Amino acid sequence: MEVVFKEFPWVAVLILLPLLGGIVCFLFSGIAKFTGLMTVFFTALSVLGLGWQIFDNGVYRHAVGGWGAPLGIDLYADGLSLLMLAATAFVALGVSVYSAGYFERGYSTRFWPIWLFLLGALNALFLTADIFNLYVTLELMGLAAVALAGLAGGKNALTGAMRYLLATLLGSLVYLLGVALLYHGFGTVDITLLAQRAEASPVIWAAFGLIAAGLMLKTALFPLHFWLPPAHGSAPPPVSALLSALVVKASFYILLRLWLEIFGPLVSNTDVSTLFGLLGAAAILWGSVQALRQTRLKLMIAYSTVAQIGYLFLAFPLATAAGVAAWSAAMYLAFSHALAKAAMFLAAGNMLRFGGHDRISDLDRVVQRLPLAAAAFALAGMSIMGLPPSGGFIGKWLMLEVAIKQGRWEIVIVMILGGLLAAAYIFKVLGHTFTQAPSPHESKAVPASMEWSALLLAIAAVLLGFLAIPVLSLLNIGNPFGISEVTP
Amino acid sequence: METLTLLALSFDALLNLSLLYLAWILLNCEDLLKAIVLFVAFGLLMALAWVRLDAPDVALAEAAIGAGLTGALLLTALAKLRVIETNKGTTQQLKQDSENFQTLHYMTPLALLLVAIGLGYVVFSMPPISAGLSNDVATNMGNSGVSHSVTAVLLNFRGYDTLLEMFVLLVSLLGVWSFGSTTSQHETTPGPVLDTLTRRLVPVLILVAAYLLWVGAHAPGGAFQAGSVLAAAGVLLLLMGWRPGGYLSTLPFRLILVAGPGLFAITAALLYLLKGQLLAFPVEYAGIIIFALETTATLSIAVILAALFLSEPPHSDKEHI
Repeated sequence: MEVVFKEFPWVAVLILLPLLGGIVCFLFSGIAKFTGLMTVFFTALSVLGLGWQIFDNGVYRHAVGGWGAPLGIDLYADGLSLLMLAATAFVALGVSVYSAGYFERGYSTRFWPIWLFLLGALNALFLTADIFNLYVTLELMGLAAVALAGLAGGKNALTGAMRYLLATLLGSLVYLLGVALLYHGFGTVDITLLAQRAEASPVIWAAFGLIAAGLMLKTALFPLHFWLPPAHGSAPPPVSALLSALVVKASFYILLRLWLEIFGPLVSNTDVSTLFGLLGAAAILWGSVQALRQTRLKLMIAYSTVAQIGYLFLAFPLATAAGVAAWSAAMYLAFSHALAKAAMFLAAGNMLRFGGHDRISDLDRVVQRLPLAAAAFALAGMSIMGLPPSGGFIGKWLMLEVAIKQGRWEIVIVMILGGLLAAAYIFKVLGHTFTQAPSPHESKAVPASMEWSALLLAIAAVLLGFLAIPVLSLLNIGNPFGISEVTP
Repeated sequence: METLTLLALSFDALLNLSLLYLAWILLNCEDLLKAIVLFVAFGLLMALAWVRLDAPDVALAEAAIGAGLTGALLLTALAKLRVIETNKGTTQQLKQDSENFQTLHYMTPLALLLVAIGLGYVVFSMPPISAGLSNDVATNMGNSGVSHSVTAVLLNFRGYDTLLEMFVLLVSLLGVWSFGSTTSQHETTPGPVLDTLTRRLVPVLILVAAYLLWVGAHAPGGAFQAGSVLAAAGVLLLLMGWRPGGYLSTLPFRLILVAGPGLFAITAALLYLLKGQLLAFPVEYAGIIIFALETTATLSIAVILAALFLSEPPHSDKEHI
């Protein structure tokens, strides 16, 4: 039994199962919902299998077609890929159960195939060791994300989706130009080989500039975040959850991976790291203030994503002195933000369906009559604010610790300000639970599956706060953050 | 010899200047129809440029997809835009948008110029000839099952990329379908010229597609080129007024759409079970497997592209909303 688990091709399942499941959903729309749920369930189980596999055997490498790099494409899984896959699996389970209740029949047959293709693209992205293959997965992910963002139809959703399409295509093209330069300069597109062959030169700088710019646009790092609020704010709630929780993290993952393996050692003078840190800090402050100013709940959550992305970039200036600790903190934040933000969008979707609107000032009746959605929003909010004992708290605490040790007080102040602003915009919604609402108005029932999937994701985001030690030890399988650096 | 090089050089210079000139007037063109025509012309010249760069495969794809089908897609998009404009009077909004765009009008070329100068410097700082992977490709050609190196890379050495690309194409169609359609056209009868032309051209296009597919194993050609030529036949039929109607939502039609990506994914899974490696084609069967994958891919690509041109979601989707 154990041998079967260790040798089983979990990686192949993670990539091919969602793609084939999507085809079945497309062919037989009658069983789309059932097939979709089963596919997501077994994909999540495969992440568990892969985790066991690399926990026992160390990092996993697979040469597709048996050619091996540089001629062929290598698949690669270490702790960092595993963490992203796990975040994807959790969010996928929650969002799928929610979507099974949310989408009516006509939308359901459109949603499931595209969502499963998106899931396959995300898994493939986290599992490849090839920068051109990364481009292909980025394209598949981006197009599927745009198709889902415009699913609701209507002027706002289509305009948002169109902007998103243009931004994401521009990002991929700029990334591809960087890949072309690297291939011409060093004759390979395999990350490991590039890391060995690359040396500081104009090519590296140009490729880094292009790749970083493309991925920053896709990650919606301030000031390239202009496309995110309309797209995430006007998509159907389960889709907003996927976009905010997973899709923006995927491009951050690529940027981090390439920075760690290829560019970091070559361009790691402090200027670049400082620039990333500055943009991150600006994103936190600007995103939080904008979130506080919004009058619509979903737009507020979307701006909160802009702010939370900023925290991930604060790790760049901190990592020059304490790589492992800073990156672990950033990835912990990414994981807990994925769970919390998905829960928050789903809870907002419940309020939107119940009350028929998402105007924050008129939410009092909704919040008071939907206790589960309010609880999900509050628990997710805890993690976003960084209150103990949530996952967001552990991530921020680890990062604060690094910043204080290095005496980077400006980063400490930005992080604390961001937390306070987050508390302000979250309590703007939750405050309604403490006031007495006037007469109830007409409402639409929300299925239990939608209420519970939001709540369970939020609980998972809080529980993550108790799992710091196992999660961090899994994250460090294969030493993704480098061995040369000193762990404080 | 001297004169030949000189001739080639001046031809290249002329080609480059025309490309730049076309791009410039295209971007400054107010009339969208004119811009699309210029875009098609740009694509054709670009295909010529690829020929000059010794990349006939890319040239074929550029001519068929970049110039031909993209042009057709842009034209249908324009036609739909006009219907929306006259129906809903959204011209005001469009004007507003284009005024907002005006502020970017002067910044964008400046920024792009700076990027181009930077990139130009980098390109000239690199060694002009990079070995890349051509040596690795050449040594492994014997095990690839085909004798044309581009096909070997696309279908065998980096077949996994192509597998995912097939899904990208399918998702783009699903995306267009999920946005819904504004107009649904009914069958019309074509004029005598279009009718005769189509009757003559469609069989020829099918034959050309089959040739391109077959020749891909040992010369420039292959699934993407063949698929787009076949799609052109479909586009001709659609232009003539033929409408698939309810056929779009039937299972056989859907099977053709997913045949390419589906067979690729199933092959990957089966080969894992047999050989313990994703997409590891056994050397003796590699040629036939690649041909089967390319044939289904050609059909799927053709139908997906033609369906993109029609851009009408199947009826069954509409009914339930």
